[in-house]
Amino acid sequence: MDRKWVNRLLLAPAGAWFLAMLVIPLVVVLVFSFGERGTAGGYVPAFTFEQYANLPSRLTAFQNTLILAPAGTLAALLIAYPLAYYLAVRVNPRIRTILLVMVILPFWTSILIRSYAWIFILGGRGIPSLLDMVGIEGVRLINTPFAVLVGIVYGYLPLMVFPIYVSLERLDKRLLEASGDLGATPFATFRQVTLPLSLPGVATGCMLVFILLMGEFLIPALLGGGKVFFIGNALVDLFLQSRNWAFGSAVAVTLVAIMLLTVTFYMRLVKRGSGQRDDAQMF
Amino acid sequence: MTKDTTPISRQKFMAELWRYRKGSVSRRHFLGVTGLGMATAVLGAAMPGLRPRRAWAQGDIGDRVILATWPNYHDPANFEAFTEATGAHVQMNVFGSNEEMLAKLQAGGSGWDVFVPTNYTITTYVGEDLIEPIDTAKLSNYDASAFESRFADAGAVDGTLYAVPKNWGTTGFAVNTAHLDGQEMTTWKQFFDMTRESFSGRTMVHDYQLTTIGNALKYFGYSFNSVDPAELAEAEKLLIDVKPHLFAISSDYQPAMRNGDAWLTICWTGDGKQLNTDIPEIHYVLGREGGEIWSDYYAIPKGAEHRDAAYALIDFLITPEVNAREVLAHGYPVADSRTNNLLPKEILEDPILYPAAELLDALEFGAAATLTDPNRAELMARFKSA
Amino acid sequence: MRLYALAVYLFLYLPIGVIVLFSFNAGRHASELTGFSVQWYGRALSNPFVMDALATSMTVAFVTAIFSSLFGTMAALALQGMTGLLRTLFDAVIYIAIMIPGIVIGIATLIGLVTVFDILNPLLVTLWPSVNGGAPSLKMGAGSLIAAHTIFTMSLVIVLVRARIAGMDRALIEASADLYATPWGTFRQVTLPQILPAVLAGFLLSFTFSFDDFIIAFFVAGSETTLPIYIFSSIRRGITPEVNAIGTMVLAASLLLLVVAQILLRRGENRK
Repeated sequence: MDRKWVNRLLLAPAGAWFLAMLVIPLVVVLVFSFGERGTAGGYVPAFTFEQYANLPSRLTAFQNTLILAPAGTLAALLIAYPLAYYLAVRVNPRIRTILLVMVILPFWTSILIRSYAWIFILGGRGIPSLLDMVGIEGVRLINTPFAVLVGIVYGYLPLMVFPIYVSLERLDKRLLEASGDLGATPFATFRQVTLPLSLPGVATGCMLVFILLMGEFLIPALLGGGKVFFIGNALVDLFLQSRNWAFGSAVAVTLVAIMLLTVTFYMRLVKRGSGQRDDAQMF
Repeated sequence: MTKDTTPISRQKFMAELWRYRKGSVSRRHFLGVTGLGMATAVLGAAMPGLRPRRAWAQGDIGDRVILATWPNYHDPANFEAFTEATGAHVQMNVFGSNEEMLAKLQAGGSGWDVFVPTNYTITTYVGEDLIEPIDTAKLSNYDASAFESRFADAGAVDGTLYAVPKNWGTTGFAVNTAHLDGQEMTTWKQFFDMTRESFSGRTMVHDYQLTTIGNALKYFGYSFNSVDPAELAEAEKLLIDVKPHLFAISSDYQPAMRNGDAWLTICWTGDGKQLNTDIPEIHYVLGREGGEIWSDYYAIPKGAEHRDAAYALIDFLITPEVNAREVLAHGYPVADSRTNNLLPKEILEDPILYPAAELLDALEFGAAATLTDPNRAELMARFKSA
Repeated sequence: MRLYALAVYLFLYLPIGVIVLFSFNAGRHASELTGFSVQWYGRALSNPFVMDALATSMTVAFVTAIFSSLFGTMAALALQGMTGLLRTLFDAVIYIAIMIPGIVIGIATLIGLVTVFDILNPLLVTLWPSVNGGAPSLKMGAGSLIAAHTIFTMSLVIVLVRARIAGMDRALIEASADLYATPWGTFRQVTLPQILPAVLAGFLLSFTFSFDDFIIAFFVAGSETTLPIYIFSSIRRGITPEVNAIGTMVLAASLLLLVVAQILLRRGENRK
């Protein structure tokens, strides 16, 4: 059979699936975003820009997300990198697997349950009560942006550790030795040898975490007490409480647009920075 | 001076009720030591009409029934009894506002068999074709004449019955008086003003436009149900001003009140009763400016999968004996005279369940317009996003 | 450095510790310790809704993983030999599928399917022959959930397999053709074994993603309940240690799986 037709056949199921379940629904969302809210909620066909005009009413939600998502990514990076380095470079290969497994294992417990444990730890009966005992009173940790940040970092730390570990693990240790032999301080070695070579892993980790954070809704919902709204929370509210499907669609379209812009921009930046080949990578 | 001839003192009754609610003693112990079990049996024997009809145990109703309801609204022991009698397990989904229930039903395929709408929503459900008429022939324990009309009328739309009354109640606020230093809190003005001062970081409001916006409107003396844009704008300004001082925006306020994270919250009657029983410093207060009086119903959504089980569950829960146990557990007043006849005097005279007339008169029933008005929904969403 | 690693591990496991600790709580509340008891494990295991949710989660995850691995691998194989418009289009779609937040996939699926069902259901009622009690009514459920999950997971498989194919030694395929093997033979004996690790990784990742997903299921599962949805409802319902017990059991099961996988891998290596 002609190679072209074999390819088309192989592509057909996936293609049909993407068309039916991704492309068409996204088009529907786009169409809805130009519509109007029905009387008791829902969607009423129309063509108007009023939904997009109403976007500023959710400015704080956009701000919260666009500030806390990168902040969370950065915090996770700062905490994850040393750990990944330690595991890849300093740890005995025999116990390395176990330690790695121990990093990923919490990821296997539902993020719901892990976040709700933080409600206890940060709530009145947890850390604040411990602080009370040493005399620091009235500390409120739960239902604050801080609590959400902690929840984010905690939730996504394993996801950040792994790609960095993978790229560091491939590092040829002899390069480090050579650098030392040539008179470089440990810090200079790190800055000029280790860091650049681990950049692909850092980029992958940050990208993964950032993408997931932009759509995050659970952690702010559980640890923010209904006060810290991310775009995800605004969306859930618009579809499952305010029932304004038209406006909700507009917010969703805007979110996707923001994601496309930032991710594409970021990808160009990273590719230029490390001169990578296109295909073999995840992104 | 009347002689106290009750088999159990008021204090001991309340203490036993508390222990029962906490799960420290069994239902049988509680019914026995308070004499309620005996009372029920005696009443049942003396008035055959009161005896529970076993209609719900007839036939195979399947193995499950899905119920959508509110927080802390039922006695779990009643569900266990239902499962024992019929073999059907009750799955309880909890919601904090009527808007959430409506949204789920509008999205289709909710999977619910029974849900608990509030009085003002029923006309909208009928209009949106999301609710089924009730066939009273399948409810052997339904007696229309036993219900107080102002709490039962909203269940019928255009002459067709869509919902049967569960209980009624009021919306006020619960305050932990230990933090009041002897001061008295009686108004919504105090609620919002003190949130900005001494109660900063310790107050909760509902994740629910009707009560949160409604009580903000009461601060200014406007109608609880107002959809007037100017009045709503003032309410919005107040809410956004107060937001940084809030502990949380949630209709599930009991855990925070119980563990001391929150000292003040918008509160429903039964939660107020439950909190006060376990923590006497927590008082339930109806703001003098007014607020909400409401009635909740049992209803069946359109396309319910387990209709027989739905009717069986509703029939079971409106049985006077079962309903009486529910009241003892959730602390909300009931509009059914048969159930009230089975309740101890303490409950019927409890000022939390049955507030003074002048406080009750100031309260308003929720209006359907608040559910459909886009401004109120959007205001709430903006407030939460802010 | 070691101290730092220790601190991080403590940070990672503190909440886990809290969860496991309270799963053995004798009291009703997951916020005060009142004694030791294993009652919640019994309750969780005998709770028909928990078991139901677990069954649904596993079924959906398994079917999603199968579809994703199968169709994803096929697509990857097709794509690596293609150029032109179709290829570019597909690349764009995959890129979008991976980059789009799960919540938007959930919303889009919800809106899309509700709209489609609103059109199809009345049509079905009029067209369906009225035997056996009338037309089936299309609604959200396990099917819509599988369909939605597969969008993301299939893209994941495609990316993984394509990366693997790109790293493959083409010389082997050429050699196989030179030795007169049929295309199917080449595929089966040369290509497939080489891409199998990627396919398997894709299968596992798809399963994990689908099993753990909450946000898409929250929008799209309709009347079905998955385990994450059940846990979320429990949190709203009033937290009892039953939720802790479920979490601990899931953790223990994952740990067991990992240990078994490790043993099998070790044995496979020894045999070589």
